[in-house]
Amino acid sequence: MKNLNTLLAGVFLAVALPFGALVLSGQSQLGGLGRAAGEDGGALFPSREPGQAIQGRAVYVSLGCVSCHTQQVRPAGQGSDIARGYGVHPSVARDYVLQPQVLLGQRRVGPDLANYGARAKSDAELAAFLAAPAAGVNHPPYAFLTAERSAALVAYLKSLRQDYSSPEAKLKQ
Amino acid sequence: MTQDNRSGRPQGRPPEGDGRISRVEASLRGPFLLFFVSAVVWLLAASVLGVIAALDLGSMVGVLRDCAWFTPGRIATAQQDLFIYGWGFNAFFALNLWLLAQLGRFEFRNGWLAQLGGVAWNLALTYGVARVFAGDMTGYRLLDFPREVGPVLAVAFLLAGFWPIVAFARRPTGHTFASQWFVVGASFAFPLIYLLAQLLVLWQPASGVVQAIAHSWFVANLLQLWFGASALAAIYYFLPKVLERTLTGYYLAPVAFWTFFLFAGWTGPAALVGSPVPLWLQSTGVVAAAMMLIPVIIVAINVHGTLSSQGGWARAWNDTTLRFVSFGAVAFTLGGLLAGVFAFRSTSAVVRFTSFATGLEQLLVYGCATMVVFGASYFILPRLTGALWPSAKLVHVHFWATALGFLAAVVAWLVGGWQNGQLLANPAVAYADVLRAGSAWCLVLKISAVLVLVGHVAFALNAFGMILKSSAPAESGRHD
Repeated sequence: MKNLNTLLAGVFLAVALPFGALVLSGQSQLGGLGRAAGEDGGALFPSREPGQAIQGRAVYVSLGCVSCHTQQVRPAGQGSDIARGYGVHPSVARDYVLQPQVLLGQRRVGPDLANYGARAKSDAELAAFLAAPAAGVNHPPYAFLTAERSAALVAYLKSLRQDYSSPEAKLKQ
Repeated sequence: MTQDNRSGRPQGRPPEGDGRISRVEASLRGPFLLFFVSAVVWLLAASVLGVIAALDLGSMVGVLRDCAWFTPGRIATAQQDLFIYGWGFNAFFALNLWLLAQLGRFEFRNGWLAQLGGVAWNLALTYGVARVFAGDMTGYRLLDFPREVGPVLAVAFLLAGFWPIVAFARRPTGHTFASQWFVVGASFAFPLIYLLAQLLVLWQPASGVVQAIAHSWFVANLLQLWFGASALAAIYYFLPKVLERTLTGYYLAPVAFWTFFLFAGWTGPAALVGSPVPLWLQSTGVVAAAMMLIPVIIVAINVHGTLSSQGGWARAWNDTTLRFVSFGAVAFTLGGLLAGVFAFRSTSAVVRFTSFATGLEQLLVYGCATMVVFGASYFILPRLTGALWPSAKLVHVHFWATALGFLAAVVAWLVGGWQNGQLLANPAVAYADVLRAGSAWCLVLKISAVLVLVGHVAFALNAFGMILKSSAPAESGRHD
């Protein structure tokens, strides 16, 4: 403990080993994942985001929505996400391979949005809700959003879907 | 300095009969005060934002409601960043530098470099927070600033926060103390973890959920290896210093240090239990969180063992510095034990996504680290300024407002989070009913946010009043 070099070497290893084992190994295991077809073949999932949804993702990030909403459905036994209708199967790593920013979130002040597109209201209803939520609803009003940004946010929220089949999360067993 | 202080007057005044400060402290005065004043200013700003967030003013008040700057997401993000990077880093730049300079008899001849780093750090932080308010943020908690801010903060850290390592290298004696190991570890680890996280999350984003893995690794390291290690360094210094007694079981301190650094870096994935990441990663995080009980228990033996003998608790209660530091030590133990227990899958399944995780985090960064910095300030500032704290009443207001405000908040986060999690686990309970059930805890959080702000204002008034009245000669320090 008297030698600075020994101390620094020990701290370096204490930082580098978990980084290598957790992050780099994670990248090695998951980095090659791509889109895949379900058990019936056909289209590849997850789908690519429409252009307006990409703009909407930027609005979602800029409003800090990730502070209150998660985008991950946990498996049975780890909460009641599926029973609450947040998704039809647990989220898997493949669901996020096309996302430039993975916004899993850590806190649920509002409901999970991983599969929100499958249960969303109409565009008009959703835009109206975002601008002026009904009294008693625990959601801030975003009346300041321009029509263009509001439409982009709605498009993004409706693009959030995980109701397809994939090799890791088959809908038909 | 060690006599009972029933009047509440903070200790730490310069030795009687010699108004001059030591050469070591004289050399630190400029950089220390820059970091300290910056830290307190950011703490006040974060506290005001904390009140706005808790009272939900952004949604209630017309002017704020129609302004994008005051959306809850931006307020919460800016508040966290100001507290962590503004208060937490500036405060520990000051405290870590002072600690290692004292322990290594280090006369700081390049204070201007540290001050340059401090100015760069605060300018980058100001820019980053302004961009957060403007909506230009990344979506990754505690890495929220636009990515151009990261390299500036890293360079500023090297200028402002690396000096404790220099002080350790130049110490005149071979003997070392636990405080030195923890500060050297914290000062060396942070730039590594910050640069690696910047690289894999923002500059060359990893693929898919690997970003979330890298992010969880970063957050765990930031909180444990910067805040946790720096706070432990101060606890290991002030407790024996003020009590004038060796720590109980001090021979175990090297084990505490190495196990703390060895296991802390692996705990990140414990925050991803149930997430779409490989199970082996989640299990590794859970095991590491449980292994963290080893350093937590050793620190408890060292600290609480010392306080529990020879009237230690009574003396701690009557000494302003020790009162805050002991509060921080208890919070560290409690937070460490809870973090170990609630990392397991069965308990994590209940509290995941609730305020429980906030409670655990705040036990470390506020209950432990912030309270320890407050205690250290009551010891150090009189020595650096050559003055006494202007108001003993404000010291009492500071302690009681922050202690009660924090305790109320942490109960609300932990108990409220547990209740919230149990209701959420039952799909028969509607989401609206879950939220309604938590409204009482929201009221507690509002009151606590106001209390904590009052405490911080009292501390700032006292500290700034003292610094403004300071007459200590910076250049004519005495020889120790």
